[in-house]
Amino acid sequence: MPNHIQSAGNLKSLAKASALGKGVVTCMNLSKSMISHVEVAEGVRLKCGRIHEVSGPASDVFAMLVSAKRESEIMWIGLNREIRSLCATGIERYVSTDRIILVETVSRDEALWTTEQALRATGGFTVILDLPNTLSLKESRRFQLAAEHGGGIGLVLIKGSANNSAAQTRWFCKQLPDKNDTWEWDCLKGKNGEFGKWHVHYQGGVNATDIVHMATATSA
Amino acid sequence: MPRILSIWLPLLPLNRLVRRGDPRVAGPFAMTIEEKNAWRITHTNKKSKEAGVKPGQSLADARAICPDLLTEPCDPVREEGLLRTLWRWADVLSPQIALDSPDGLLLNIDGCAHLFGGEVDMAEYAKSRLNDLRINVRIGIADTKMAARALARFGTKFVNIAEAGKTNEIVANLPIAALGLSSAITTDLMRAGLTHIGQLSQQKSSELARRFGLELTNSISTITGQTPDPIIRKNPDTIYAARMTLPDPIGLMDDLEEILKRLATHVCKKLHADNKGARRFSLTVRCVDTGDHTMSIGFAQPCFDSKAILRQFTFPLSKLKIDFGADWFRLSAHQFEHIQLKQMSMGEKTNHSDSKYKLIDVVGNRVGFDRVRVFQHHENYLPEYGFGQIQVGNKPQESWSKAKRLRPVRLFDPPEHAKVTTSGRPPQRFVWRNTTFDTKSTKGPERLTPRWFKDKDLRTRDYWIVQTQQGQRLWLLTYPGTHKKEWYVAGEFG
Repeated sequence: MPNHIQSAGNLKSLAKASALGKGVVTCMNLSKSMISHVEVAEGVRLKCGRIHEVSGPASDVFAMLVSAKRESEIMWIGLNREIRSLCATGIERYVSTDRIILVETVSRDEALWTTEQALRATGGFTVILDLPNTLSLKESRRFQLAAEHGGGIGLVLIKGSANNSAAQTRWFCKQLPDKNDTWEWDCLKGKNGEFGKWHVHYQGGVNATDIVHMATATSA
Repeated sequence: MPRILSIWLPLLPLNRLVRRGDPRVAGPFAMTIEEKNAWRITHTNKKSKEAGVKPGQSLADARAICPDLLTEPCDPVREEGLLRTLWRWADVLSPQIALDSPDGLLLNIDGCAHLFGGEVDMAEYAKSRLNDLRINVRIGIADTKMAARALARFGTKFVNIAEAGKTNEIVANLPIAALGLSSAITTDLMRAGLTHIGQLSQQKSSELARRFGLELTNSISTITGQTPDPIIRKNPDTIYAARMTLPDPIGLMDDLEEILKRLATHVCKKLHADNKGARRFSLTVRCVDTGDHTMSIGFAQPCFDSKAILRQFTFPLSKLKIDFGADWFRLSAHQFEHIQLKQMSMGEKTNHSDSKYKLIDVVGNRVGFDRVRVFQHHENYLPEYGFGQIQVGNKPQESWSKAKRLRPVRLFDPPEHAKVTTSGRPPQRFVWRNTTFDTKSTKGPERLTPRWFKDKDLRTRDYWIVQTQQGQRLWLLTYPGTHKKEWYVAGEFG
């Protein structure tokens, strides 16, 4: 799909934009004392106070690497099957496990309610919603409003095809079979034109967020 | 030597029913208790005693002896409640009172007896007051706690007094059982021909200790006052609760919240004054038509903030159905903990942790605190036992040593079956979750043997890290040495 793959020129302009906006990256919004962007890898930037959708087989790692870049607590919300399958000994490779709070709900409604509460809370939490089915437009809009209020980041892990939603961006993440710890992150949707496709490689392997280093191997 | 007064209430469970006005106690009546799957008689009233019913009999025997016998099981909780009420009443006699559960009180009456005109008058006064309350009582006064207890239980009269300094002489006439020893030792002593406490003092204590154990010599020295055994006063447990009764029932949400606000302010002021916080609060609302409704909320941290209580009760209150109004409310705090006051909401870090606990409270009260969890490390090499999930607030272990080998992000327990289409080790092509995967490269096997002393599944496991051509990295599992060459997907690396 050609519209998903950016030309080199386009990517450069994106990098330029990030250089211009460098002040924004480090500047603290004093009213909420939140950093307004998370830069996961060079050029891969997620807006705070927004929700983002992540799909594909490597969505877990994407969510964990975003959380690792932030300092706040991580709320991982889902049903029994999803929460019970999380393996702490594997997760600790990407993000420190004592920052994670798991919420196991009995129904989808409860999971949605908990997510909204967590996004609305003032702590600026990283909220990962892990549901077997996707959100409707109304639900995602509600989360969007809650996230704007709380200043945190919401990551919705999508299984299957995505709906029309109010999320800021939508990512498709998959592993590249040629090399270990290499992923292709494809931004399928971006409200502010954050399209692009990145090949990223994970060099770190340590819990602490600042040692996690990601290099943009290639930009397609 | 202090002076100790022991009050024994021999028929406390029966007296409770008498005081309640139970009509059955007029005829032959007995209290029972279930012991080793059999009902036994514990207390008898006058008429049943005349008919030949004795404590210790089985209920069936007692019924055979006295066909008209009516019985009731003992209720230890309510009896304890009655005893505590009497313990509070006993303030009129002395300021130093200890509970002697299940059926007695111990008072230190040093310097109190003269207020009643001497020890005899004091004991008579206590007896007549308790008899007025329709409670049977026996009283013993002596120099030591054990001696007073023994006199109350084994003395011949209702009031037995051993004058100051004469305790040993009077105790000497009491039977061995008054020492309150275990039945095995008592029987052994009886078999040796020792029936009275006085006979023991003629024996060498080293001989007694050698033959019957230190328990016997210890209790002899406490009953004679050689070993001090003071009365330890029991302080009442502070109750952090407030209640409100209204002349007319109310039903509007705003009114209910106002009531709750007043109750919460009162309770929190009390908690705050004692530097305490509570982890649970419960609110009882008595509706005029449907009776009591009790709601409770919890907190991740001990709390004495009335606003937080109000906020957490909003949801359960909104679910409460009040048709004709409610007129009685009670808010009580449970699970107290001492708290160290700290500066709130100063600086980024405390702010974050404050809002974290606030969020845990909100979520925990709705979905249940057992469903809000954190990871905990376990020292175990088997992947499914290498970690656990525990309720948030219970502190996880500080040290978290990292896994020695690569572990998946998602672990499936039990492992999911993979259908092999092209065989191999690991299979060249397999189907998992309705998707076909082709193996590109593999790493392994990692062989793990189960813990033979603990696990049920005693199969050896081989784990393979399989990079598929489709992209997914999977953790395949097979059991070597079994006849069936089945393959399972144990995890996903992401």
